[in-house]
Amino acid sequence: MEDKLRAYMDHLFRDVKPTKKSVELKEEILQNLVDKYQDLLGEGKSPEAAYNIAVASIGDMEDLLAGLKKEELGGSPLDNEQIEQGRKKSAILISVSVMLYIMSLLPPILLSDTSYSDRLAPALMFLIIAIATGLIIYNYLSQPRYYKKDDSIVEEFKEWQEQTDSSRRARKAISSALWSVVVVVYILISFWTMSWHITWVIFLIGAAIEGIIKAIFELKR
Amino acid sequence: MSIASDLIRGHTDTIILAHLTREDSYGYKINKEIQMDTDNQYELKEATLYTAFRRLEGAGYICSYWGDENTGARRRYYSITAEGRQAYRQLKKEWEEAKYLIDILIKSKEEREDQNGR
Repeated sequence: MEDKLRAYMDHLFRDVKPTKKSVELKEEILQNLVDKYQDLLGEGKSPEAAYNIAVASIGDMEDLLAGLKKEELGGSPLDNEQIEQGRKKSAILISVSVMLYIMSLLPPILLSDTSYSDRLAPALMFLIIAIATGLIIYNYLSQPRYYKKDDSIVEEFKEWQEQTDSSRRARKAISSALWSVVVVVYILISFWTMSWHITWVIFLIGAAIEGIIKAIFELKR
Repeated sequence: MSIASDLIRGHTDTIILAHLTREDSYGYKINKEIQMDTDNQYELKEATLYTAFRRLEGAGYICSYWGDENTGARRRYYSITAEGRQAYRQLKKEWEEAKYLIDILIKSKEEREDQNGR
């Protein structure tokens, strides 16, 4: 009969995420019910009657469960603040890197009539592009992550899920950076050499590089 | 009974705080004491009890800890905080005032006349 009480509580909590808080609450109420059930048996009630009285005494759990679900969604105020900060940081990083991409064209333009134009200008340009790309990748990788709260299997699963997710995220970051670089390289080389008829091959090369990166990630997994 | 229990339910917080001013306790024990104190006339539903626990804990009036019991049953004990004691005194005062006013307001005609010395 105690298993039946446990099954009943599991049923009540079926829509609630098994967080530490909700599992503890479930255990607490279950313990309470088992105590009551044992006492009723001690008073001479039949197991069926004791079970029915115990279950009837639970009452309407809607508000309690709704409270748990809301907490899940909203999280604590501190978490919200952290997420908000993370979002701001990410916005700044992205804006700065886009700005750097645009500014990377400045050295070739400014130095075009000087003696530095053939060596220093491209070097500076690629340096700026590298910094911008690095910022984008750093931004994707440093976004808030899920760390396990306790040693339960559920938490371990969530962490594992998050880790595979983060490797997928890294691949996405690299791929988006790759395509920005490809566009910049295409435009620059085209203007440089003025051989527009052939420079489109750069896009094919870009696609090939992306394929290779994908393959590397697959192999790693 | 059902109307009376609706009235009492509004004071669940005060009742729980009152129990915890005596000693640290856990859900079932509090409920059982309520049952005994009222001669089996009143008992809290689990849902009401645990909603109140969460509300009181959120307000900082009580705190909880897991007790170590050798019998195997691990129970969460609740303990009243200083703020909780203050809140309890305040709630009790409010109830005394409300009780006094309601008593005045719900007197029947005869009772009023009695009081006026007729």
